[in-house]
Amino acid sequence: MFKIVASIKKEVLLLINDRVGLALMFLMPLLLVFIITIIQDSVYKVVNENRIPLLVMNQDDGRLGGKLIAVLNNSGLFEIDSVAGDSDQNLKSELLAKGKMIALYVPKSFSAGLESNAGSVSQILMSDLGLEHDSTQRARVETPSLTFFHDPVLQDNYIISVMGVIQSYLGIISNALMIDNMYKDLDMGSQSDRLAKEIMENQVKINKVVATNDRSMAVPNSTQHNVPAWTIFAMFFMVVSLGSNIVKERVNGSFLRLKTMPTSFMVVMFSKMTVYVVVAILQVVVTFSMGIWVLPHFGLPTLTLPGNFLAFASVVFMSSMAAVSYALLIGSFAHTQEQANGFGAVSIVIFGAIGGILVPTFVMPAYMQSISNISPLHWCLEGFYILFLKRGSWHELQRVFLFLAIFISICQLCTYLKLKVEKIVS
Amino acid sequence: MIKGSGIEIRAVSHRYKSAPENTLSEINLNIYDSDVFGLLGPNGAGKTTLISILCGIFPASSGVIRFFDKGTEVSDQGRRSLIGFVPQEYAFYQELSPRQNLDYFGAMYNLSKDRLVTRREELLDVLGLSKVADKPVGTFSGGMKRRVNLAIGIIHQPGILFLDEPTVGVDVQSKNAIIRYLQHLNQQGTTIVYTSHHMSEAEEFCNRIALIDHGTVIAEGELEELKLSHAANDLQSLFIKLTGEAYRD
Repeated sequence: MFKIVASIKKEVLLLINDRVGLALMFLMPLLLVFIITIIQDSVYKVVNENRIPLLVMNQDDGRLGGKLIAVLNNSGLFEIDSVAGDSDQNLKSELLAKGKMIALYVPKSFSAGLESNAGSVSQILMSDLGLEHDSTQRARVETPSLTFFHDPVLQDNYIISVMGVIQSYLGIISNALMIDNMYKDLDMGSQSDRLAKEIMENQVKINKVVATNDRSMAVPNSTQHNVPAWTIFAMFFMVVSLGSNIVKERVNGSFLRLKTMPTSFMVVMFSKMTVYVVVAILQVVVTFSMGIWVLPHFGLPTLTLPGNFLAFASVVFMSSMAAVSYALLIGSFAHTQEQANGFGAVSIVIFGAIGGILVPTFVMPAYMQSISNISPLHWCLEGFYILFLKRGSWHELQRVFLFLAIFISICQLCTYLKLKVEKIVS
Repeated sequence: MIKGSGIEIRAVSHRYKSAPENTLSEINLNIYDSDVFGLLGPNGAGKTTLISILCGIFPASSGVIRFFDKGTEVSDQGRRSLIGFVPQEYAFYQELSPRQNLDYFGAMYNLSKDRLVTRREELLDVLGLSKVADKPVGTFSGGMKRRVNLAIGIIHQPGILFLDEPTVGVDVQSKNAIIRYLQHLNQQGTTIVYTSHHMSEAEEFCNRIALIDHGTVIAEGELEELKLSHAANDLQSLFIKLTGEAYRD
């Protein structure tokens, strides 16, 4: 026991002396969480929030432009922000200046165009029915177009969805206008409401059912993604500190000296793992505290810890073990500290990118989502997603734990075999 | 059978995987209790390989090595407790202080906490490291680092001590302090196996030597007897006589 305590003490002393490593392990995730959460917050809000922020410039001379905006506003889907100006280019500038994601421009001839369309349809119908109608030829106004501006970061499917919503409300106004026109042509103008109401109320409904285990919707906000994501990234980035620590001991003869002593090398490895698993847990404590207590002061969503503490602790432990095991693997295979630092850091950035740390996997194309399964960081993040977003049960976490257990076992086995080949362990 | 603490080496040969020929061939040696045994030879002779095998860093390709403690053969685990090893390179943690290094390696030698503290302070004092005992070793001079390296190898008071060029690259004062303390250890009963390229130091320090060249023992015995039998005035003359004057890589 004294040996283990002495060995752990040595590891702690080496860690305290590694100022760069400590900064990478603790300051880096705090800065990354803070910066990236602020940067990505507006994007996550667009994806997450029920009301989509929409910048609107209404140049319509008639009443229908205002009606469309009122309908969109009353739909509860949009948070309308009207801006003044005289051209769509003004709106584009406002969009860029205000940092919003989408904007809608209603042109001057919007009402006139819609009314002209409705009049034409009504005339055709009356003519086809052989009914009398006002034979005065109405001035034909070209079908109006709305202009929809969007930020380039938005995915096509999101843009199409928003445009589809606007189009459907436009259809409601347009249809009501046509019905009005037809009833007016039949001199029954006051009776159009009943038909319009019937048409609107008898549309086919689509029932929306959430397919999660507890019927709660699982969509991350910027804090829920970035806090665990960058914590995991920092955990794995300990490869720079632990990996080079192992290389240094191999190169400077300390391992050689230990081979001549009445001690098992496993004591050394166990001590390293213990210290660095504790470091990883501290990283979680520090960054998650930031998510709970600091980020809300900057207008960012508060991180709420999951109710199932044992599952939370298990995900943290498995993630820590995966990170430490990977660092041991790199440390045992690298020949120099430069190799450990270089390869370790680059591999973590790549694993992070693939695994959905930088950009969440749910916005990745399907084939990238499949590729993300090879990244251990993805499975760690998936564990936190299940805890935070889906309030997942042990059953849901099984797959995550299985993959991480396989990853940890492979790393540990390869480390052992490498040290055995080098005759550091017998 | 060797009385006290010693080593019996029989027909030990070794070949590295990538090497075309043996680094050591049929080495037979006896190292007796309280010997200061000089393992001497030119560069590439096989001294470090033999010391590494004796310390258990890697096994010999063939041959038998038996360790004795108080006249009784010891097991592999017993050997690890019996021996101390001071390698040629600085095998410690440069970021830590001498006190922290000694605490760690002392614990790895199974010393009790009380015994460790006593030995640690004793060695820091004897080797002139007390004043810098809490400073990082990385800031030390070469001589001070050598003394830390030595202190770690002897903290558990080994029965047999292996020293691979313990005084290389140090000033006269540090060299003197190291040799003086090693002589003190030997007088207290520690058997010492020592390699060096300093012939005058070895001549002064060792009572028996083995000259190794091209992986074989070319001379072995009491130093004075060897000098006499080869008509050499000193160890350096004996060395040149037996190994030649040609450069070694």
